[in-house]
Amino acid sequence: MLLQLNYKSGKPVYLQVVDQIKTAAASGALKPGEALPCIRPLAEELRVNRNTIAKAYSELESMGVIETLPGKGCFLKENHSPFRKEVRRKMLIQEIDQAVVQAHHLQVPRDEFLQLIHDRIAVFDQKRRASENNGED
Amino acid sequence: MSSPIPAIEIENLTYAYGRQAEAIRGFNLTVQPGHCYGLFGRNGAGKTTTIKCLLNLLRPQRGNVRVFGLDPREHEVEVKRRLAYVPDQVAFYPWMSVRETLDYLASFRAHWNGKTEHELLERFRLDPSQRTATLSKGQRTQVALIAAVCPEPDLLLLDEPTSGLDPIVRREFIETVIGAYQEGDPGNRTILVSTHLITEFEGLIDEFTIMDRGHAVVALNADQARERYQKIRVRFAQSAPELDLSTAFHVRRAGRDLELIVNGGGPELIDRLQKHSPEALSTEALTLEEIFVAESRRPE
Repeated sequence: MLLQLNYKSGKPVYLQVVDQIKTAAASGALKPGEALPCIRPLAEELRVNRNTIAKAYSELESMGVIETLPGKGCFLKENHSPFRKEVRRKMLIQEIDQAVVQAHHLQVPRDEFLQLIHDRIAVFDQKRRASENNGED
Repeated sequence: MSSPIPAIEIENLTYAYGRQAEAIRGFNLTVQPGHCYGLFGRNGAGKTTTIKCLLNLLRPQRGNVRVFGLDPREHEVEVKRRLAYVPDQVAFYPWMSVRETLDYLASFRAHWNGKTEHELLERFRLDPSQRTATLSKGQRTQVALIAAVCPEPDLLLLDEPTSGLDPIVRREFIETVIGAYQEGDPGNRTILVSTHLITEFEGLIDEFTIMDRGHAVVALNADQARERYQKIRVRFAQSAPELDLSTAFHVRRAGRDLELIVNGGGPELIDRLQKHSPEALSTEALTLEEIFVAESRRPE
């Protein structure tokens, strides 16, 4: 998994790292249990302040996306989140609400919006299947 | 719990060389411990003069300077014990070898991490027996960086450290600051880098001040700056309508096209532009270097 930072995106650096790792996990570019570079090597590789990477990893750990095993390294967590189900649902509802509001602003009608959600889930499923197949070769 | 003592606190600093106009006037700067602070400015803006005041090479004529809460003159040894300085022009005794130079510099320090020294000498592929007079500029900077990092100081002062160096050496410099220096005690390792080569330090910088003609023009947190500064490009079907562009500090026109740079207020301005049904409208954020250029070109 290679991270790419964009200093012209207006997005804080630590958030770019968090989002890219989450996306990699969702699309299968990173598999559960797979190793991630730890804080110092990633900071050196990206030439980013070490505390910025630490902040990103701290957030990813508290979200249950990654874990650090002392002496072993950093890994993508297997598919369980430490949060209780209701909390996870609540977090997702916040994201969904944002998308609903955006759809309204961008004048995307309801049926089209729902179809888009189906399509996007299918895309991620496909990516994950594709990377699993590659792993088997 | 009380707030931590800033690593650097500069208040209303004023300094003039001889009878000339003030090199620095009314300058303020605060650097919290554990942060990496960028001091940006064109040549002659006053950056090196500021650093000289931190090192007690110059005495403020007005205002004051505190490093770790201490006056660099009254507590010179205590202050210097806790910092290391990498200047633009690095000077060593030319007849000394790299090994002798490092041993000599280490003798002035209470603490010296020999393991780090060994790792960095290897990483930079330096020959310890080579006399410093025959080192390239990049190698001299590398030796200076080793000498600055091995005592594991609380504050690293970098004054144009990468100017004149090739891109590989510049990258290795940054990687070393992040790895060998920051990693040791991340909450406590503070960096002040004064430079006009902003691009490569972009990832490292938490906060910055742009200095122009001796005073601070902009002082911002890096993430906030990237969010606030926007370049808006808009094209109208017919010639650009009469618009109140006072919130933009940089406006470029070419026929039906407009390019605007704003510091905050981007979304409102975009809303107003949308009302004139433009043919095309796009926005992008600015890198720290672009922000620097835009602010430095601002009319007085």
